[in-house]
Order: sequence, then C-alpha cells, then structure tokens
Amino acid sequence: MSALLGRLRAIPSWQVTLGLALLALGFLVAAQFQSEGPRIRYTTQERPPLVETALDLTRRQDQLKARIIELSDRIRELENSAAQDDELVASLDRQLTEVRTAAGLVELVGPGVVLQIEDASGPIPPDAAPGDYRVSAADLRDLVSELWLAGAEAIAVNGERITPTTAAIDIGSSILVNSAYLAPPYQASAIGPDDLYDRLTASPGFVRLVQDRVDQFGLRLSFAVLEDVVVPAYSGTIRLVDLRAAASNAP
Amino acid sequence: MRSLRSQFAVTAVATILGFLLVLQFRAQGAAPGLAALSAQDLTTLIANLNTRNEQLAAEVARLDVRLRDLQAGGTQSQVSLAAIREDLDRVRRWAGLVPGVGRGVVVSVAGSVSADAVNDLLNELRASGAEAIAIEEVRILDGDVVASLPGGLAVRNAALADRFSISAVGDPAALTASLTRVGGIIGRIQVAEPEVSITVVAADRVEMPATTRPLRPAYGKPRV
Repeated sequence: MSALLGRLRAIPSWQVTLGLALLALGFLVAAQFQSEGPRIRYTTQERPPLVETALDLTRRQDQLKARIIELSDRIRELENSAAQDDELVASLDRQLTEVRTAAGLVELVGPGVVLQIEDASGPIPPDAAPGDYRVSAADLRDLVSELWLAGAEAIAVNGERITPTTAAIDIGSSILVNSAYLAPPYQASAIGPDDLYDRLTASPGFVRLVQDRVDQFGLRLSFAVLEDVVVPAYSGTIRLVDLRAAASNAP
Repeated sequence: MRSLRSQFAVTAVATILGFLLVLQFRAQGAAPGLAALSAQDLTTLIANLNTRNEQLAAEVARLDVRLRDLQAGGTQSQVSLAAIREDLDRVRRWAGLVPGVGRGVVVSVAGSVSADAVNDLLNELRASGAEAIAIEEVRILDGDVVASLPGGLAVRNAALADRFSISAVGDPAALTASLTRVGGIIGRIQVAEPEVSITVVAADRVEMPATTRPLRPAYGKPRV
C-alpha cells in the first residue's frame, strides 16, 4: 500500500493534469460525434435539397404576396378613376343632349301649326311673269320669318330643320334649303305657343304676305293647328372652318 | 525542461479542448428554423408551400387579367370623353352658345333700310357659307329675325340705329364676292332702296357674341 502511494507520489503533477484533460477531451469528442451524427447524415444527403427547396418556395411566396398587393393597389386606383370617368361621361352626355337640342340637332314634338303653300293653280295671264305665280325661296323665307316673329321655337320646311346656318335660295324651279332641293307643296311645320296661329295671322307682315302672294297671284296657302307637330332634327353636317370659340365661358 | 514539456502538453490539450467545446456549443445552438426540422417535416412543409404558392399564383393571374381589362376600359372611356368634349365644343360654337371669333366680313348698312332687305342680306351670308352672324351685339341664329316696328328696325328686342353693322365669320373672299357680285343682293337692295348704303369690308378677326336665348325648348319635347 505504501509502495503504491509511493508510486503515485512519484507521478509528476503535469501528467495528472494532462490525464484529466485527455479524459474530458474524450467525453467531448464522443458528445460531438453523437450530436453531429444525424446532422451529418442529412447534410450530406437529403437535407440540403429539401431545405433549399423550402427556402426557394418561401422566397417565391413572398414575391407573389408582394405582387398581389401591387396589383390590388393598381386596380383600386383604376377603379376609382373609372368611376369618376363614368360620372364625367354621363355629365358631358347630358350637356351634349341639351346643347344639341338647343342647336336643332334633336327632333322636337309639340303644339304648333303646319302651313302649306303651293304654286297658283289657275292659268297664268299671257303678259304676266310666271315666276310670280310660283312659290319662291323668298316666299318661304317670309313665311318662316313670320312664324319666328309669332313665337315659334322650332321650324322645319319639308322636313328640313331651320338652323343657325340655314339659307333658302331659288335654284331653277326648286328651292334649296340645307343642301336639300325641295319641291312644292311646301310645308312649314312650327312648334310654339298655343296661340301661335292667332299671333301669326294677326301679324301685319303675314297679312301683307297673304295679300301680296295669295290674293294677288293665287298662291294656295292652307294650315293646320296641331297638338303634336313633329319638327325633325337637322340631319346635315356642321361645317366650321373659321369659327373658333372666343372664351371658355360656356353655359 | 520537464516543466516546459508538461506545460506544452497541457496547452495543446487545452486548445483542442476549447476548439471541441466551441464546436459542440455551435452544433447545439444551430437548431432554429428549417435546420431543426426532420426530412419528413421538411417534405410536408414543402408540399404546403407549393399548394399555397399555386393559390397565390392563380390570384396574381386573376388580378393581372382584371388590371388589363381596366386599362383597356380606361383608354376607351378617355377616347369617348375626348370625343364628347369635341362634339360639345363644336355644337356650342355652331349654335352660338359661346362667344366666337374668326376671319370674316363686316357689312355696314346706313340709311332707312327695310327689314326684308336685312333679312335677305342674312340669308345671302348664310348661303355663301357664313358660319356665324351678328348684328351689332346680337348673335343671329335661326329664329332671330329683323322686324319692322313702328319706331324702326329691331332684332331680338334690340332697336337698330340708322347705321348698323352685320358681322359674319367665314371665308372673307367668298362672302364678299357673293354679296357684291353684279345683280347680287346688295345691287338688288340698292335698286329697290336707293338711299341705302351698304359696304362690305373683309376682316381678319370678327367677334361673335354668344346668344342669350334659353337652351331648353319651352313648348316642344325633345325626342332623343
């Protein structure tokens, strides 16, 4: 026993330290291998592709989510502006209808009169001018003017709407109105107040027209007072080359 | 010497020991996230991710279609807006609802002219392509007729003086030629009413006032 103790004492202290350290090292190495064991197996075989795939899919999902947010934002913007556009279009359409109505580009129906004037039917005296016995553009213009002065708000002659630029001129034996050649009988359809006919026939200008053209040359004038006179829309083209808007104070 | 050898051995072992300790701690600390999952768990996760990504891709495709539709529709409505505005502007000018301006002629009339003569002048201007006409400050549209009243001529409740001017927008050369040709309207008026003087002057800029008449018909109903 004393011999054993003597031998132990003979072992230098650094060898004891080293021995203990190596013992601890052995434990650690064993522990390390144990914990690394399964990981090494996956890392070297299945795990990296799986992990990489999962990471790729996660990144892809983030991109898709961001794209959805981006698209949704853009769609909401467009839907808002489209709604505003729809309102604007509707508002402009209403204005356009109103303006077109005022301009004679829309058919009107309302109370009024239809006057018909035709050439004289009797024989023309040999020394007379035949033109005096025919309805002229001037006759139509006079008739239309008298209707306006009596309060008419819309007039058409043989279906041709009288517009701001309508002229009536003689072309041979027919009358040109709005680029349309009209032939007798001529019918002027006018919409206006209920007493349009009374006002017309009371007008000195109309009385003179009747005296000068009907009484003197035999032109035939007839009329009808109607509840629903139809005045068609102007069907020609609006040709504006020189006229520009002067200011933007549109109604 | 013995002491030096022993120190060297202890240092070497301690270094290896420290290295292994660090390795062990790191191996145990690297657990969170995907690395902590087993292969089976990872496979399940990947399947879930795939399904979810397919749903998201379908949603992206749907939103893409909706966006394209909206963009196409937006272009269309912008086109129709521009077309309506242009139409509105054109009809307003034509119907005298806005003040206008353009080259044309100024017809000056002096003397006691008849209403018929002035109305014939207006008709001649229209027939020769006048796009807009005004007598003094009154825009002349359909329905605006010069009337002969006991006190003189009037248009749209505005009395006309002995001298007044008629302005018209249109090609000055065509308008002037049409009015002043031999046997034309001015010649005929001056034969019938010799005391009346009518002159036509071309103008680079003729201003047209807007009409004051109401927009809506009072008696007729529009059939749109």
